[in-house]
Amino acid sequence: MTKILTKHFDEPKLHELETYRRLGGYEALKKALGMERKALQEEVVKSNLRGLGGAGFPVGFKWSTVPPEDKVPGPRYVVVNCDESEPGCFKDRVLVTRAPHQLLEGLLIASYVVGSKDSFIFIRGEYQNQYDILEKAVAEAKAAGLLGDVNIHLMRGAGAYISGLDTALLETMEGKKAWPRQPPPFPTVAGLMGKPTVVNNVETLSMLPFIVREGGEAFAKIGSAKNGGTVLFSISGHVEKEGVYEVPMGTKLRDVLALAGGVKGGKKLKAVIPGGTSMPPLLEKDLDVALDFDAIKAAGTMLGAGGMIVLDETVDAVEVAHNIERFLTHESCGQCTPCREGSNWSERILERMLEGKGEKGDTENLARVGENITGKVICALGDTVGMVTRAWTSKFPDDFKKRVPNNG
Amino acid sequence: MSKVDLKSPFTPEQEKVLLGWTKKYPYTNLGLIEALRSVQDWHRMITPEAASRVADIFSLPFNHVWGVATFFPTFTRWKTGEKRVGVCHGLSCYLKGSDKAEKCLEKTLGVPKKQATPDGKLSWETMECLGACEQAPALLVNDRLVGPATEEAIAKLKDLK
Repeated sequence: MTKILTKHFDEPKLHELETYRRLGGYEALKKALGMERKALQEEVVKSNLRGLGGAGFPVGFKWSTVPPEDKVPGPRYVVVNCDESEPGCFKDRVLVTRAPHQLLEGLLIASYVVGSKDSFIFIRGEYQNQYDILEKAVAEAKAAGLLGDVNIHLMRGAGAYISGLDTALLETMEGKKAWPRQPPPFPTVAGLMGKPTVVNNVETLSMLPFIVREGGEAFAKIGSAKNGGTVLFSISGHVEKEGVYEVPMGTKLRDVLALAGGVKGGKKLKAVIPGGTSMPPLLEKDLDVALDFDAIKAAGTMLGAGGMIVLDETVDAVEVAHNIERFLTHESCGQCTPCREGSNWSERILERMLEGKGEKGDTENLARVGENITGKVICALGDTVGMVTRAWTSKFPDDFKKRVPNNG
Repeated sequence: MSKVDLKSPFTPEQEKVLLGWTKKYPYTNLGLIEALRSVQDWHRMITPEAASRVADIFSLPFNHVWGVATFFPTFTRWKTGEKRVGVCHGLSCYLKGSDKAEKCLEKTLGVPKKQATPDGKLSWETMECLGACEQAPALLVNDRLVGPATEEAIAKLKDLK
């Protein structure tokens, strides 16, 4: 199966500059620096590269919304989002650990295209090992003269899931509470300190050396329609072989599960959460769904950040929904009342059900609370509160009925 | 008495580190989270007095800094142990027995969560997703992932003293 990001993962010292360069590393940067910035951006448009941090926004188009320097003079920035913190997601940690220079090369290419002289890597504080790896890689690249006139700054977060959302990430960087901003303006127009800022995920930027080296069309050919290249899935839960797997965009769920050895212990599959816990689950009947941003949306869920959690037949949907709502309640930033209050109500209703004190109408109440959050909040976290309860109650009604005495 | 006249809760060396965070990035405030992380490391909590001094150093209102310090889970108002242990209870970790790991931590360290051992060396707490679902239930010691929270791994924590 075609591999782009994990192709050299068997190399024992891939994280070191010497190894990375021996395998052709930083050649793409050299090529990029000899090209017109506009032409590079066009290659990314042609590649159909989508933002792999969760939103799936076309990367080339995102870059094109940065205003030209003659219209908006002054600094512009590139920020690497390395703040993955949704249960199920750990691919960025693996990418940074194994191939930090691949990320740096991609960051330097993006910095050149955007015109960023100060670029940032925002990494979650709990990834101290990965911070150290990146710090060393930046020092190696600097000593080798690869950074040119770009300063790469490392910055750590302080434990909030919401900091992974681009506008909340910028607020965190600016030394504020991680309260998402209400766009427009979008960060590409007014981002860090009000300056044009491109925020891209680790996996997204790590794709750039391949795109520059092989061309946008070659990348687009690997994936499916409007979903170029490959995608990483971090797989955990009830599977035989947990880990990170790279597959072409559009690979069937069945085949991805097979790579991870299938459901652990030969048990039956109950559900697969495809992209992080806030995504609606897929069922046994969905195993032939193609995993790309568009096909999976048609199946009623989302690719998210590729954080796949596999659940076997023994799992109770009410326990799962409670665990996810507890997480969302804890991580709600509190800025929007429907999210702040509604996530807490959802968690409390589910907790009551788990304690055997479920009341008639609880399932309907969960749906009603969800409806009163979705679309009435600034960011996606609030929307997911209702999405989670709606998905789990509708797909596993029997599990919920069992938790409500005399509910029939 | 104005705030600047108060005795600093930091040593002269720590004051220099905090001042360094104001100069590390292209804009002063970009260093605030890192400065507070330093304070958390030194004092193992953020007190109003410390936040007030940080506010002075960054030329920010106290309320701004206190708002940030009370927003992010890394910063605590309770004193953590020198080794701050976290066990993840995100969904993947829950499926792999994070509840059991929590009970094991309480029994092994002899203190409830969010309370340091009497000698101040260790404390433990549950944490939200640690980004290590393949090592579930994931265990963290002072921001470093150390693998699954097995009984053996938890027993070894006492050796960290």
